[in-house]
Parts: sequence; structure tokens; C-alpha cells
Amino acid sequence: MQDLQEKLISGFQTVETALNGQAQTPIHVIRKQALKRFAELGFPTIRHEEWKYTNLMSVVKQDYVLGLQTAPNLTKTDIEPFLMPDVEANVLVFVNGTYSADLSTIISDKGVEVMPLSEAFKKKTATVEKHFAQYAAWQNDAMLALNTAFALNGAYIEVAKGAVIEEPFHLLYVNDSRKQSTFAPARNLVIVGANAEATIVESVHTLVSGANVGLTNLVSELVLADNAKLSHYKVQNDVEQSHFVGAIHAHQEATSVLNTVVVTLSGGVVRNNLNAVLAGKAADTHFYGLYLVNGKTLVDNHTLADHAVAHCTSNELYKGIMDDKATGVFNGKIMVRPDAQKTLAYQSNRNILLSPNATVNTKPQLEIFADDVKCSHGCTSGQLDDESLFYLRARGLDKEQARALLLYAFAGEITEKIELEPLRERLESIIAERLHQELL
Amino acid sequence: MLTITNLQASVEGKEILKGINLTIGKGEIHAIMGPNGSGKSTLASVLAGREDYEITGGSVNFDGHDLLEMSPEERAREGVFLAFQYPVEVPGVSNTNFLKAAVNEVRKHRGLDPMEPKAFLNMMREKMALVEMDQAMVSRSVNEGFSGGEKKRNEIFQMAMLEPKLSILDETDSGLDIDALKIVANGVNKLRSKETSTIVITHYQRLLDYIVPDFVHVLYKGRIVKSGGKELALELEAKGYDWVKELALEEAGV
Ligand SMILES: Nc1ncnc2c1ncn2[C@@H]1O[C@H](COP(=O)(O)OP(=O)(O)O)[C@@H](O)[C@H]1O
Ligand SMILES: [Mg+2]
Repeated sequence: MQDLQEKLISGFQTVETALNGQAQTPIHVIRKQALKRFAELGFPTIRHEEWKYTNLMSVVKQDYVLGLQTAPNLTKTDIEPFLMPDVEANVLVFVNGTYSADLSTIISDKGVEVMPLSEAFKKKTATVEKHFAQYAAWQNDAMLALNTAFALNGAYIEVAKGAVIEEPFHLLYVNDSRKQSTFAPARNLVIVGANAEATIVESVHTLVSGANVGLTNLVSELVLADNAKLSHYKVQNDVEQSHFVGAIHAHQEATSVLNTVVVTLSGGVVRNNLNAVLAGKAADTHFYGLYLVNGKTLVDNHTLADHAVAHCTSNELYKGIMDDKATGVFNGKIMVRPDAQKTLAYQSNRNILLSPNATVNTKPQLEIFADDVKCSHGCTSGQLDDESLFYLRARGLDKEQARALLLYAFAGEITEKIELEPLRERLESIIAERLHQELL
Repeated sequence: MLTITNLQASVEGKEILKGINLTIGKGEIHAIMGPNGSGKSTLASVLAGREDYEITGGSVNFDGHDLLEMSPEERAREGVFLAFQYPVEVPGVSNTNFLKAAVNEVRKHRGLDPMEPKAFLNMMREKMALVEMDQAMVSRSVNEGFSGGEKKRNEIFQMAMLEPKLSILDETDSGLDIDALKIVANGVNKLRSKETSTIVITHYQRLLDYIVPDFVHVLYKGRIVKSGGKELALELEAKGYDWVKELALEEAGV
């Protein structure tokens, strides 16, 4: 068996020949450089500080086919369960990394240009070249380099100045690994113009059979112009036989507001990087995360709030509930650069371990190079509070009910940050059901 | 209703209750007074089933059941209610949902169907009026951000909703101003019946002007050192707790 790294490098050549006229473009030059870098770096191992607790070796040793070289045939019925009911949304569907026009529905027509990235490379060349790979720095990040090399498709969303797009954009990625274990890359570029507003939902759904597993590598670059507002919700409720390595790289101009919520409910190995550079005065970023996992799921969230200029705010709260042999990893970095006076940066990571075999590794990292700043961080991990449990039981609730109620409330502090109501309600009901079953 | 016989309890190896004997009949109000650290809250907690305490001796019979054998939720469903000295804040759990779950558990235990939403709301409204709670408070998370007085009122509101047989009020008066004290006392008095009993734990006599006890007991260093009628409370107020300490010494035969 050829190892995955070699397989991807040779797969790149095949994909490249299919690019025809685009093989000489500046974008493709970046892809080639990124591939070269990936070849040099190889997949990260636990010796790498950023991957200390997340061992990808068992993930990458599977026999994957490169998704871009597959041609699965999915129907609307296949993806129906992955859609958000009761939401009028733009839905962009990617199957094994390739855009499916048949399965997608685009309803917003004013104030936004939305198309697959493959099309944007041709139609929006200048804008793409201006932003692509400018925020997601792949030079020292193997997985990002890999994603950049295979950045052939994904979503392109450009919201015009001042436009408020009511309908959310649901970016739906299906990894169809039923025939063969599949590596599916995808890359998004989202540009929100000055004073514009938009909402994005990302979800990955893996289809498997037998011993197959799917690996999805999804990176989004988000650009927020002055005073733009973007809500970004990432929903991870995938099968156990799925692995995910992805990143969000946001660039925020003055007074822009980014609200991100990452909810992980199941999966195999899940790694989320989330970086926001606060590049314009008084930009505001919110990172919220919930991981409620059991079995052998590993969820690793690495975040970076990078304060580059003065008067910006970052507010971060990640919460975890882990059962069985689940593992949580949280690494939250706050960077305050020398010019970033009057920074307000808050970070908190709170965990509840429901089983003695569940573990969590949490590490705050503060790098502060300005003196007039307010930063705070804190992390806790432990069991449910006995006082609260007793209080509820003393009113007649049994132990399981009381625990479910407290855990639901614990999780609710994150789900309440989802402003897209039908999505929030759906997640809350999944969580309620899960807690109910878990505790019986 | 309740018979406590030679009850002994300790925490972390330290003996706190050193043989409590107390019998409470139906329809009676008993006040338990005593200096801080006497073991009043410990007694209340042991009766409600808090698991931090180790029962090292004695027994408690509640309405024919061995109370100490029951889980906290079974006790609650059987009709034991503890109004906590320090009610816990439970962020994210709304008062209404919490009470709905609690009320329906108690009903289930009594062989009744869950309440219809409308009937439940009506009951809420009625009981809210009793302790002068407003809708905003009831809609909030349990005790979250409540003032000391609001927390105590919320305890009595919950008591009203759950209709217990035996209520134990642990220093419900502390932290209340006189108006709030009257509201709380008034609520308790209205909920009184020939079928229900109340234990009022208090440090001060003041509350007993409003909730008039049938019996007063003085707890000191884990023992009931004196019992009497309501006039004992006044005597305590006048003579202070030093008098109790002397009583305890006398009893120990020093
Ligand atoms: N959970 C506990 N752990 C350790 N000591 C306790 C605990 N609960 C009560 N105590 C001790 O038991 C004694 C009685 O306390 P408590 O019952 O709260 O008294 P009261 O309510 O009469 O003021 C005190 O000395 C107190 O410190
Ligand atoms: Mg006390």
C-alpha cells in the first residue's frame, strides 16, 4: 500500500493535468508551492507541539482514495437528512470535494455573489487572487499546505457592501466513503463587504460502509471588511468512522464582528483550528465551542485570537462534556501585539468529565506584548457540582434527570449563542435526547 | 409525622449530631434554635438526604417509612421539603421548567398524571401571588442573580408548588428585611394545615413573632439541650445563647 502522503502527491499531478488552461495561473503557482511544502513537512506527528495530544497516524494510515478522483452519484434523497428543515437557506453541496449543482439550491440573488470556488477562479480571478491563501498561512502548517495544494473547490461567497443577506448559506460537505475510504478536501473563501451581514453554516457528513472511513480536510478563509458582521456555525455530528481536520482563518477589519460557534457532537478524530486576526481598530471576535462526545471520539480545538491593533475585543468560551473514553483537547492562544493597546481578551474553557476514562487536555497560551490591556483566562475540569445535584434531587428529580438538566444547561450556554433559531433548536433537541439516553 | 431517635451523624470523621431525639406530630410547628455551628443545618440536611453526612447511629421515621433508607428524591416525593439556608444558583435551568419537572415527579409518585400546561400555569400564578413573586423572577434561571431575599422567597414559592407534608425551613429569615420576612411568614402560615408539619430553624426570635411555633427546641453542640413552648424563644432572646451554653454544661453534669 502506497502511503497517503505519496498517494496525494501523485494524485496532485493527475488533478493538475485536468486543469488545462489554469495550470499557469498565480493560484496554481501557490498550490504547487503548498504541495511542495506538504511534501517536505509530511503529516504532523505528536512530536509536533501543535499535535501533542492528537495522533493522526492511525487516521492517515488508512487506504484513502483522493475524493477529487471519484465520481459518486448522490440524489436529493441522500442528502435530505443533512439539510436544515424549516430554514430558507442557500445550500451548496460538495460531494467528495466536488461541487454538485444538482444538489445545491441558491436562493439569494441580491447583494451577494455565490458560486463554487472553481467557478470563482475564472469569473472572479482578481478578487480571488487578492484574498486566496492570504490569511491561512500554510508555510508552516502541513495540513493547511495540503488543503491549499488541493484548493480546487469549495464555496465562494462575496457579500456586497451594505448588503444584509437574511438567508443563511449552508455549506454541506458529503464524504461518500461507501465504496472506498475517501480523502475529501475543500476550500472556502468568504468575503463580507463593509457594513454587510451574513450567516454561514458548515457541516460535514460522511457515508461509510464496512470498515471504510472518511477523512475531510476543510478550510475556510473569512474576510470581514469594515463593520461587517458574520456569524459562522460549524456543526459536527458525523459518524464515528469519520475524521476531520479543518481550519477557519478570519481576517477582520475595523469594527467588524465575527461570531463563531463550533458544536461537536460525534465523530472520530476531529481537529478544528480557528484563527482570527483582529486587523482593524475595534474589531470584535467571539469564539464559542461545545464538544459533547462519547465513545472514542477525540475533539481538538486550537484557537488563536490575534490582536494586531488597538481597541479590539475577543471573547472565547469553549465547553466540553466527555463520556466513555472520549478525549478533549483545547489550546487557546491569545496574542496581543505591541500596537494592540486597550485590548480586551477573555478566554474560558470548562469541562465536565462523566467517566473516569474520559480525558481533557487544556492549555491557555497568552502572549502579550502591549501593556495597557485586559486579558483573562481560566479553565476548569471536573464533575457536575454536587450542591446543584442535591438541590434538584431535594425537589424530587431523580439523579439522572438532575444530571441531564444540569448538563443541558451547561451546554445551553453555548447553543444560546446561535442566532439562527431553527438551527439552535435542532441542536438543543439533539443534545437533550443524547443526554437523556446517555444517563439512563 | 416525624420521629427522630438518638440520631447521630458525622462529617469527615467529625461528630456533629450527637444523639438527637425529636417527635413532630401532624399539624405542629417546631422551632429549632441555637448558636451558629450547633448542627441545625446538619440536622436539616440529614433529614433531606444529603450524602456528605455519615449516619453513625439512630433512626428517623417519617410517616411510617424509614427516612434514612430513602434517596433525596424519594424523600421529596414522599413530602419532605427543605428550604435551603443557602439556595443554590442553577444557571441555565429555568425556574418554570425545573418546577414543572419537580411537580410532575411528585405527582407521578402519588399516582397522578402530569399536570396540563394550563393548570400548571394557573397554579404557578396562584402560588406566586402567595409570596409576591413576579413573572420575571419565575422566568429566570433558578436563583441566578437573585438577591438573598429573592432566593429565600423562591424557596417558599417552591414549597408552595410542591405541597409537602413536612417542611424544614433552614434560616429562611436570615437576610430578609422586615417586609420580606412578613411575606415569607405569611406564605408559610397560609400553607399550614392540620395535615402538614413545619420545622423552623432560626437563629433569632424575630421570625417566631410571625410563624408562631407550638414547640421550641434549643440545639447546642449536636444535642437538644432544652425544649419548651413558644415562650422559650423569648427567654432565649432575653438571656442570650450564653445561657444555653450553661444549660449544656449543667446537663453534662459539670
Ligand atoms: N460538609 C461539612 N464539612 C465539614 N464540616 C461541616 C460540614 N457541614 C457542617 N460542618 C460543621 O458542623 C458543624 C455544624 O454546622 P451546621 O450544621 O452548619 O451548624 P448551624 O446550622 O447550626 O450553624 C460546624 O462546626 C460546621 O463547621
Ligand atoms: Mg445553618
